[in-house]
Amino acid sequence: MAPPPASAVADGMNPPARPRDSQANIDIMAVTKGFHWPWLIALVFALSGVALAAATLAWQTYEGLGVAGYQAPVFWGVYIITFVFWIGIGHAGTLISAILFLFRAKWRNAINRGAETMTVFAVLTAALFPLIHIGRLWKFYFLLPYPNQRFLWVNFKSPLLWDVFAVNTYLTISVLFFLVGLIPDIAIARDRAVGWKKIVYTIMAAGWQGTGKQWKAHSRAVLHLSGLATPLVLSVHSIVSWDFAMSIVPGWHATIFAPYFVAGAIFGGFAMVIVVMVPVRRIFRLESYITDYHFENMSRFILFTSIICGYAYGAEYFIAWYSAVEFEQTSFWQRAFGPYWFSAWCMIIFNVAMPQLLWIKKLRTNVPFLFVLCFFINLGMWFERYVIIITSLSREYIPAAWGLYIPSLVEMIVLTGSFCWFSMFFLLYLKMFPIIAISEVKELEIHARDHGRSHGAHAHGGAH
Amino acid sequence: MSELDRREFLKIVGLSAGAAAAAGCSEPAEKLIPYVIQPETITPGISVDYASTCLECSSGCGLHVKTREGRPIKLEGNPEHPINKGRLCARGQASLGRTYHPDRIAGPATRSGDGSLQPISWDDARGKLAAKLGSAAGKTWILGGPVGPSLDGLLDQIVAATGIAGRLRYEPFGDHALVDASQRIFGANAAPIFDLTGADLVVDFGSDFLDTGRSPVEHARQLSEGRDIASQANGGARVIAVGARQNLTVSSADLWVPAKPGSEGVLALALAQAVANSKGNAAVAAATSGASKDAALAAAGIDGALFDKLVAKLSGATRAVALPPGVASSTTAGRGTAAAVLLLNAAVSAIGTTVKYPAVDAKRTASLADVKALVLKMNAGQVECLLIHDLNPVYSLPAALGFRDALAKVELVVTFAPLADETTERASLLLPDHTPMEAWGDASPRPGVRSLVQPTIRPLFDTQALGDTLLSAARAIGGEAVATLPAGSWKSVLESNWATTSWRHALARGGEFGETPLREVALVAGAAGLKVALPEIAGAGDFTLIAFPHSFYGDGRGAALPWMQEIPDPVTKLSWNSWVELSHAKAAELDLKFGDVVTIATEAGSVDVSVFPRGGIPDDVIAMPIGQGHTVGHYASMTGDEQPQPGVARGVNLAEILPAATDEAGGQAFLSTKATVTKTGRFRRLALSQWTDNQRKRGLAPEVSLYDLAQAGSMAHFLAASPASASEHSDTEGAEGGEHARGGHHFSGPPFEFDPANDAHPDQPYRWGMTIDNDRCTGCSACVVACYVENNVSIVGEQQAIRRREMSWLRIERYVGDGDDDVSADSERRPIPSGEVLGETQVRYLPMLCQHCGAAPCEAVCPVIATYHNDEGINGMVYNRCVGTRYCANNCTYKVRRFNYFDYGRKNWPGLLGLMLNPDVTVRGQGVMEKCSFCVQRIETARQPVKDVGKPIPDGAVKTACQQSCPTDAISFGNVRDTASAPVKRAVQGANRAYRALQILNTRSAVTYLSKVRREEHEGVH
Repeated sequence: MAPPPASAVADGMNPPARPRDSQANIDIMAVTKGFHWPWLIALVFALSGVALAAATLAWQTYEGLGVAGYQAPVFWGVYIITFVFWIGIGHAGTLISAILFLFRAKWRNAINRGAETMTVFAVLTAALFPLIHIGRLWKFYFLLPYPNQRFLWVNFKSPLLWDVFAVNTYLTISVLFFLVGLIPDIAIARDRAVGWKKIVYTIMAAGWQGTGKQWKAHSRAVLHLSGLATPLVLSVHSIVSWDFAMSIVPGWHATIFAPYFVAGAIFGGFAMVIVVMVPVRRIFRLESYITDYHFENMSRFILFTSIICGYAYGAEYFIAWYSAVEFEQTSFWQRAFGPYWFSAWCMIIFNVAMPQLLWIKKLRTNVPFLFVLCFFINLGMWFERYVIIITSLSREYIPAAWGLYIPSLVEMIVLTGSFCWFSMFFLLYLKMFPIIAISEVKELEIHARDHGRSHGAHAHGGAH
Repeated sequence: MSELDRREFLKIVGLSAGAAAAAGCSEPAEKLIPYVIQPETITPGISVDYASTCLECSSGCGLHVKTREGRPIKLEGNPEHPINKGRLCARGQASLGRTYHPDRIAGPATRSGDGSLQPISWDDARGKLAAKLGSAAGKTWILGGPVGPSLDGLLDQIVAATGIAGRLRYEPFGDHALVDASQRIFGANAAPIFDLTGADLVVDFGSDFLDTGRSPVEHARQLSEGRDIASQANGGARVIAVGARQNLTVSSADLWVPAKPGSEGVLALALAQAVANSKGNAAVAAATSGASKDAALAAAGIDGALFDKLVAKLSGATRAVALPPGVASSTTAGRGTAAAVLLLNAAVSAIGTTVKYPAVDAKRTASLADVKALVLKMNAGQVECLLIHDLNPVYSLPAALGFRDALAKVELVVTFAPLADETTERASLLLPDHTPMEAWGDASPRPGVRSLVQPTIRPLFDTQALGDTLLSAARAIGGEAVATLPAGSWKSVLESNWATTSWRHALARGGEFGETPLREVALVAGAAGLKVALPEIAGAGDFTLIAFPHSFYGDGRGAALPWMQEIPDPVTKLSWNSWVELSHAKAAELDLKFGDVVTIATEAGSVDVSVFPRGGIPDDVIAMPIGQGHTVGHYASMTGDEQPQPGVARGVNLAEILPAATDEAGGQAFLSTKATVTKTGRFRRLALSQWTDNQRKRGLAPEVSLYDLAQAGSMAHFLAASPASASEHSDTEGAEGGEHARGGHHFSGPPFEFDPANDAHPDQPYRWGMTIDNDRCTGCSACVVACYVENNVSIVGEQQAIRRREMSWLRIERYVGDGDDDVSADSERRPIPSGEVLGETQVRYLPMLCQHCGAAPCEAVCPVIATYHNDEGINGMVYNRCVGTRYCANNCTYKVRRFNYFDYGRKNWPGLLGLMLNPDVTVRGQGVMEKCSFCVQRIETARQPVKDVGKPIPDGAVKTACQQSCPTDAISFGNVRDTASAPVKRAVQGANRAYRALQILNTRSAVTYLSKVRREEHEGVH
C-alpha cells in the first residue's frame, strides 16, 4: 500500500491553509523538469563516448593489454593515473558533506549535494579502472577473499589488496550517505511526480513523511554516516598512495605520500566541484542558491591545499637531494628535466603557481576565472599522477632497463570515456534528482528567519 | 507427433544444457593420445638425448639433442666432444628451429611458366633431374656449401660417375688466404689449428675469435680456462685486440689497438720483425726484413709507445698466439696479412704449441674467384643445369658478380635447401633436403675428430636426403660409369665410411674423437723478405666500410631463425634489422641521430639504412652487419612481420654494396671499399633493447684490478664505500682502488649467508642459488638463446621489440665503465651507447635474470599471491593465479619480469614451431607475468631419481639451461645451503670480488656475481 501523499499529510497537520510551495522547491525541482538543449547535447556526447570506450575496452580485453602503451619498464600507465585521479576527485565531496557537516560549516549546504553526487559517480568511475588495467579482466574475482575449495587466499601484505577494500568501503559509505541524505528531497520530488518516476521516488523516499520522528532519525543517521565517512576522507587516498609509497621504486617510496595524496585529492576535488557546478548553475539558473560566496569559500580551500601540494613537491625534491641517494636524485632530476619534463612542469605550474592568484579577492570571486583555473588544476592533478607513476617507473635501479612509455590511442579513448561515463551519470542525475539539497537550503532559510541576519552573512548566503 | 513426455523433456534439457556448457568453454578440449604401440625407447614424460653434430657453422660442435616423445626440443653441447665440451653457442641453440620452421618447403616441386610452384612426386622429380643429367651432364655444375666428409666424398663420386662438369665447394666465409699463406710460409697446405690452451697472450688481428671467429665456443672456453682468476693470481692470459671496430672480442680484451682497417698485415709484420729482433730469431727476422716500423705506425695510426708496448708484451710472453684476420678484416691483401700474422706466431715460437698444423692437407675449397669463373660460364651459356645445395648464392654472393642475371640463363636450376630462400625462389626444380635434425650425416671439424649427425625426428615434410636424391638420380641415368657408385642408400654410404669404428659406439658418443695428427713445420726458404702491401680499399667516399659478420647470422642463414632476429646483438643491443655504425663525432657533423636513415653508397651500389652512432668506432669508418636483407622468409624478410610485407627485405643485404673484390688467394675481401654517407631525412626506428650503457656508478657491474685483488686480505676499502652515497665519493677519487670501490656493492659477510626467515624453509635441505662470474662472461648471449628455447619464451617481432616488449627471461646488460653519476647526464636524449671510447675496453657484461630474492619486492606486492616464495627459496610464479596487475614488475628492482601483452603463447609459434615447445614448461597465456624460474623443471627432473631412494639431489645434477650452454662456464648453479656446492665454492673462492646486484636494497638475492677483473691498467691511444 502506498503511503498517503505528503501533501495530504501536510494538510492534515496544517489544515487551515495549504502552504504555498516554497520557492526553493520550485526553483530546484525545475532543474529536473523542462528541456535544456545543453543538457541533451552533453548527454549525447557522453553516451557516445561511453559507447566508444566500451567497444575499445572489449577489443582490449580480447586482444590483450598490448593495445595500450605499456612497455617495459613502465607497467602502469594511463589507467592507474586515471584511477587515482577519479578517486581523488571523490574526496572533495566527502569532505564537504561529512567533515564540513561535522564542523557545522553552513555554507556547504548549497553545494554539498552536487559534491556528493560527484563523489559517488567519481568513485564509480574510479572503481572501473583497476579492472580495466589488469591483464586478465575475466579473473578479477581472484582479488576478492572468497572461500574456495583450493584454499587460495589473497595477499594481505599487498597494498593493491588494501586498495580493493578501501575503494569498496568508500563506495559503500559514499553511496549510503548519499542516498540517506537524499531521502527528504526525494520525498519532495515524489510529491510532484507522476508515472514511473513516482514509483522510483516512492521506493527511494522510503516512506518519508517529514514527521519530527523521521527528521530526528534522519539527522542522526546523517551524523553517524558523517562520522563514518570522515576517516575515509583521510584513509582512502592514504591507502591509494601506499600503492606507491609501500613499493621500492625511487620516486614512490616516500613517507610523505599519504598526506600529500590526501591534500592533492581535496585540492583536485574542489576544483572539480567548481568545474561541474559552474555550468550547472549557469544552465539551470541556480545563481540564487549557489552564489559567488560559495565559490569563494571553495577557492580558499583550493588555495590552502595548493600550498600543501606545493610543500609536498618541494619536500620530495629536498629529500631526494638531502638523502644523497643516487637512485632518488636521478629519478627526481629526470622528473624535471628528463623526457617527461613537460608533465612535471604542467603539474607545478597548474597546481602550485596558478592557484596562488587566488590570494586576490577579485579573482576568487570571478567565476569565469575560477572555472578556467579549476580546469587547469584538474589537468595539473592528472599530470601529477602521470609524473609520479610514469617518470618514476621509467627511471628505476637498472639503467639498462630504462625505457619510455607513450600512452596509446586506446588509453586516450578510455580516458575520455571515463569522463563521459562520469558525465553520463551526472547528467542523468540532474534530470532525476535535485542537485541542491532542498531540505538543507530550507534549513538555512528557517535558520535565517528565526535568528535574523545577525548570525552572520555567511550562514545566510545561500538562502533568499 | 506424440507429446513430449517427462523423460524426453529431461533428456532434451540435459542435452542442451550440456551443449551450452561445452560451447561456453573458452578452451577447446585437447586430448593426450597414448601410443597404440609404445616405442621401446620412449617413456612419455622422460626425455631421450641423441648425440649429433651442429651444422650451423663449420666449427663442428657436438650436440646432445634432447627429444621428448619423438620431437627434438632442445640442443645442448655434447660433453665428450673435443671442440665444444658440452657447450653450445647462440647459433647452435637456435638451429633447432630449422626443423619446425614456417619456411620449410613441403616437398619436391617444379616451377611452372607463371612462376608458381607445382608439387610433384619424388619419382617425377628424380626423373627430371636424371633426364637432365643424362643429356647435359657436361654442362651441369654443382655449387654447394660446406658439407661433411662423407657427403663430400659421395658428391665427388657422383660428379665423377655422371660426368658432371664440375663442383664448387664454396663457403662465403672461407679461409683461403690463411691456407695459401701457410703454404707460402711453412709449405703446409692446411689451415692451422689455433689452440689457446695454456696461452698467456692472445693477439687477435680482427678474427673476433670469441664471437664470429673460427671456433668461438672452443676458443672462448680455452681462453676462460687460461684466464681463470681463481687458479692464476696474475690473471692468466691477456688479450690484445687489433681492429678498428669494437666487437665482442674487443669488449673482452685487456688492450685494444684501434689500428686503421686494413693495416693489420703491415702492423703484424712490423711486430714480427721487432719481436724476432728482440728474441734473436734470425729466420723470422730474415723473413720480415721487408717490414718497416714507421710505415706500420703510419698505416695503423698508432703511436710508437703503443707499438713498443705490444713488442714488449709479445716478447715477454711465454706462450703467445696471434690470430689472423677474420671476415670483417679480410682485404685484398688477405694472404699477405695472414702470412704476416703467421710470421708473428713464428717469432713468438707459437708454431707447434699454440698454432698447430694438422698432418692432413686441407681439401681445396672454391673461392670467390672460382665462383666468378662459374658465373662467366653461366653467362656464356655453358651451364645448362646448376645444382645448388647448402648455400644461398643469390643472397650471399656480391651483387656486383652478376650471379642473379647469370642464373636466369641457366635452363634448370635445382635447389636442395629445406627452407625457402632467395635461391629457391629462382629455382625451377626444388628437391628439399632434410634438416640436420632429420638427416644422417657427419662432420669433421679437424683431422682426427669425426662427428656423426643422426636423425632425431622422422622427416616432418616430404623431403629426401641430398645424398639419396643425387644417388637415385645418378642411378636412373644408367650406364657403366654409374655402376661405380656405391650401392645402397646415403645412410649405408655413411655407415661404410664409418666402418673403421664401432657404429653403435660412434652413435652413442656422437662420433670418434681422436687426436689430430700434427706435422712439424718450419719457415720455408721462400718466405724470406715477405712483402705485405696495404690492401686496396677502392672507391670514393669519406668512410671505410667494415662489413662485419653479425654474431648470429653467419653468412645470412641465421637470419631465418626467430631467436637470432629477436635476441639483441651482444655489442649494439639492436635486433631485427640492419644498422650502420658511425662515430658520435661524425654523426654530429652530419646531423644524424639514432634511427635517421642514410644512404650508404659504394661503387657497387647503395642501400638505405638507419644510423647507430657509437663511441667504439673511428671517425673515418662505418660498420654494417652482414646477414640481413633477405627478401624471402617468414622471419628473415618482412613477410611474417606484424604488418606483413611479403617479399620486402628486412634490413639490407651487404652483398648489394660490396664489390666482388678478392684477396691474392681468391677469397672474398669484405673490407675492400669506401663508402659515402648521405642523409635522407627519413627516420626508421630500430629495436634497441638497452638504451644506455651508463651504469651511473651504481656498481651493477663493478670491476676490480689485479692490484686490488692482491690486497684482498682486507676488503675494507671495498666495503667502506657504499654505492648509495655515490655523490660523496669525490674524496676517494684518485686514490688507489677508489675507482672500483665506488662501484662495488661488495659483501660484508660470507656469500649466501642463510636466513631461514627469508630465503627458504628451515626444514628444507635446499636453497637454490647461482654464482655468475662476470670475469668469464664474454657477452656472447648463448645463455639467452638457451633460456628462450628451454622455457618457451615468446618471440614478439620487430614492432613489439621496438616497444621494448621483448620477453627474455635472461638478458645480458652491457655497461661501459663505472658510468657517470651526474644526475644531469641525460642518456635518453641520445639513447645510444655513449660511454665507449676508441681504444679503451671498459665494457662489462652483466647477465641479468630473476635473482630469486630472499626478501623479494615482487612477492610482497602481488595481491593474489601469484608470485610467492617456495620452500626451497625459489621465487615461484603461478601463471594461472596471476591476474596481471603488473605490480610485481614495477616493484622488481632488477626489472626481470615480463608481461604477456598479447596472447603470445597461442599466436607466436607459426607453422609447426609449436612442436618444439618444451612440454615441461607452461606456455603462458595473455595477460600474465612471467620470469626466470631457475629452470625449476630441471630441478624436478633431477629430483625424481633420488626422491624414491631418499637421497638428496647431488651437486651438479641440476644444470640450468643458461649454465649448460655457457661456453666459458661463467654460471654455476646449485644448492647454496650445501657449502660444498659449486656456486658456494665459486663464491667463496672469489669472495674478494663477490657482490650482489643492488645489495644496498637488501633483497637477499640468490645470485652472487663475481666482479670482472681488470688485468691491465687503462691504457689506450693517447
